[in-house]
Amino acid sequence: MRRRAWYLFGALLLAGFAGFSFASFRSNLTPYVSYAEAQRAERTVQVAGALEPGSAAYDSVGTALLFTLRDPESSATLRVRYQGLKPANFEEAISIVAIGRYDAASAQFEAGKLLVKCPSKYQGSEVKEYGS
Amino acid sequence: MSALAHLYLPGALTLWCALAFGLASLWGYTQLARGDESARTFARRAYTFFAIAIALSAVVMAILLARRDFRIDYVFSYSGTDLPFHYQLAAFWAGQKGSFLIWLLFGALIGIPLIRTTGRQEAPVMGIYTLAQLGILFILVRESPFLMLDHAPIEGQGLNPLLQDDWMVIHPPIMFVGYALSVVPFAFAMSALLVRDTKEWAARAFPWALAGFLVLGSAILMGGYWAYKTLGWGGYWGWDPVENASLIPWLLGTALVHGLYLERTRGRFRRANFVLASLVFLAVLYGTFLTRSGVLADFSVHSFVDLGISGWLVAGMAFFFGMSVWLIGTRLRGVPTEVNEDPLLSRGTFLVLGSIALLTTTAVVTLGTSAPLLTRFLENPGQVGPEFYNRVNFPLALGIAVLLSLVPFLTWRGETTPRQLLRKMAPGLIVGFLAAAFAAGLGVHDPFHLALVMLAGTAIATNIQKTVAKARAGGLAAAGGYLAHVGVGIILLGFLASSAYDQSVKVTLVQGEPANVGAATLTFQRFLPREGKLKERAEVLVEQANGRSYTAYPQIFLNERTRQLMVHPHIRSFLLADYYLSPLEFDPGQPEQAVAQLALEKDQVQRLADLDVRFLGFDTGREGGAMAQMASGGPVTIAALLEVTHEGETSRLEALYRFRRDGEVEFPPVDLPGGGQVALGGIDATAGAVRLLFAGVEGTAQPARLSLDVTRKPLIQLVWGGFYVILAGGLLAIAARARQVRLLGRLPERAG
Repeated sequence: MRRRAWYLFGALLLAGFAGFSFASFRSNLTPYVSYAEAQRAERTVQVAGALEPGSAAYDSVGTALLFTLRDPESSATLRVRYQGLKPANFEEAISIVAIGRYDAASAQFEAGKLLVKCPSKYQGSEVKEYGS
Repeated sequence: MSALAHLYLPGALTLWCALAFGLASLWGYTQLARGDESARTFARRAYTFFAIAIALSAVVMAILLARRDFRIDYVFSYSGTDLPFHYQLAAFWAGQKGSFLIWLLFGALIGIPLIRTTGRQEAPVMGIYTLAQLGILFILVRESPFLMLDHAPIEGQGLNPLLQDDWMVIHPPIMFVGYALSVVPFAFAMSALLVRDTKEWAARAFPWALAGFLVLGSAILMGGYWAYKTLGWGGYWGWDPVENASLIPWLLGTALVHGLYLERTRGRFRRANFVLASLVFLAVLYGTFLTRSGVLADFSVHSFVDLGISGWLVAGMAFFFGMSVWLIGTRLRGVPTEVNEDPLLSRGTFLVLGSIALLTTTAVVTLGTSAPLLTRFLENPGQVGPEFYNRVNFPLALGIAVLLSLVPFLTWRGETTPRQLLRKMAPGLIVGFLAAAFAAGLGVHDPFHLALVMLAGTAIATNIQKTVAKARAGGLAAAGGYLAHVGVGIILLGFLASSAYDQSVKVTLVQGEPANVGAATLTFQRFLPREGKLKERAEVLVEQANGRSYTAYPQIFLNERTRQLMVHPHIRSFLLADYYLSPLEFDPGQPEQAVAQLALEKDQVQRLADLDVRFLGFDTGREGGAMAQMASGGPVTIAALLEVTHEGETSRLEALYRFRRDGEVEFPPVDLPGGGQVALGGIDATAGAVRLLFAGVEGTAQPARLSLDVTRKPLIQLVWGGFYVILAGGLLAIAARARQVRLLGRLPERAG
């Protein structure tokens, strides 16, 4: 009888943990979306695109990097603000992934993290992660 | 056969011979399994020749790399004449094909000592083992690493600069030894089911499982150390899919080691061990598929592109998965199960609980790693970040720490009453509470973090107590498990401190100007050019709060071949923390300018030396306005109103731009506060912008700037230290278990 109670307790604990993991998974999942979807989304998402040449500059205070991403397929553009320094090889990147959320007030995508994919003749183009 | 002309024959031949010998060995072992004892010698010899052929093909590849024979596509793609010898060796496993070859090399070589430990089940074990080796060999025969180019380039494409590191010379091969070892318990488990003889396999597979667990663990830690020391990302673990792909089999291997221990000592967990042994190997295959098929190309820092082998990997995975499902599904019922149910407070129950905790960790890590694959079928593929892993693994770490602290005082029969247990644990608990109090004093306030410190502290203390007791009783060999648990406690503390309590700031240092960063003062002194083996690096003076100082040399340089900016952090280890300086950006600055220009839009402010210049707008009302001036026939003058702030004092200036009637323009200079002059050099009427020319303004020189990521990583030494303790414990355990295998009896007599 006592043993059965322990089994029940263990099963409940595992079930609770499964629920907790699944909830964490759902809330932490950052889907790849289009720019239009990113502007509507109310969660952290990731957008990818090519850097619009010459669009990268620091803001007046010099703490945030502003740049424009262009979707190579739809040629839609998105203004991105990244709180941090310009990643190495930023201008040479073939693709930049920005992870963050859209701020409607400033009409900018506030990126907390950037993934910079550089052209590489190696198997596996070089991807580096910035931000935290 | 035109394909032949494109293969380097000595290399290709060794692979074909290996294929022939491998198949012959497989055939021989099949005959042996059918009872033809005379096939034993043949099968063994064929296997030995198979291993020799694989070793030869690896030697051929190594020679081609050492000779820098760029006719070979693989050598051309991953090496260059500029590489020092040991990096030339690292080029061996820089690409997919070479890494499969090194994996196969270790697999083939491990098979030779394996034969001697297989006992009665030599035929099925070696048959299944050889089958797994042949699977890799098939890929290599189809996607040959000995492919030749139709011309001979004089220079190769070079090795990925990130791989040009001493740790990269040894980390990948050790990882592949670990992967190769994962096949052994699988082969033992499957053949035990196949021949319905499940008594001995656990004992025979145990040392191999331990070795796989230790080798893979060492490789994972080395990879982390490499990331920490070389890449400058500030961390040793990023929960990247490629990292996770090696972690998942290791976690399963850890569960297997505990399961085998339980089976060996208590006869429990018999059925579960079959599942665990096959999961370890299947996880290696799954990880290989995830990281090498290109499915994660958009998500991983170490992305690989598809080499066209995804189909082969899926086929291999499906084959071995099918084999395990079939054998486990049909034969597991025949395995005798335990009848004795251990009491709750017994070592057996806790081992089961520990395995469940490890499997739960495996499940959440697998879930997170597979996110891009799982969500692919939904609307948008997505991924989860480190926050997910840290969050879900934290409660599991707490649970594991609880189990670890109790285990040393539990017996198999569970005679220990809760009261006795508490009494025995008292010293450990006191240590745990002291550790938590100490942590609280250092500024740890999160109750969950304090709980982990307390539990891990207790686990360390109780396991040390038990290790010492065992050693005193002359049984140090039996203390391997406890010693490893001490290491786990230490490593948990290291994980917590270095991940949750690291302090990182991004700073930009101006050359020669000291800046306060945290408690230290950093001064970027100069940038040093390349000298021989030393790369371009910054010299940063770090003055600590305690008055001591040292000079750091974080490197930032361009790789000449790839034009990639490379960084190398500077790490200074102290007793309680690492001080980690990782360069982000270097701006060499510019010398004093005689004439400077600023382009300003209306109301925009820009800074030049010590002046803040704002363009307020045009003075359109001047002399009756431009239209009136034009009508009067005189020169047209446009005035730009400027606001100049110098040392806190703001003054207004008017810069003029005059079109004379003869077509000439003039822009008379106006004196600036603080010296120098400004003139209106141009107007963009449509944009409402002006171009200002400055002359004689002092201080326009831009000093060099260095941007750094400055991180303090507290107690990171515990991560490395804890690992060494686990390693020591694991080695003790291997020694103890290998002795038991030798006691099982000698090799069957060789057939005539």
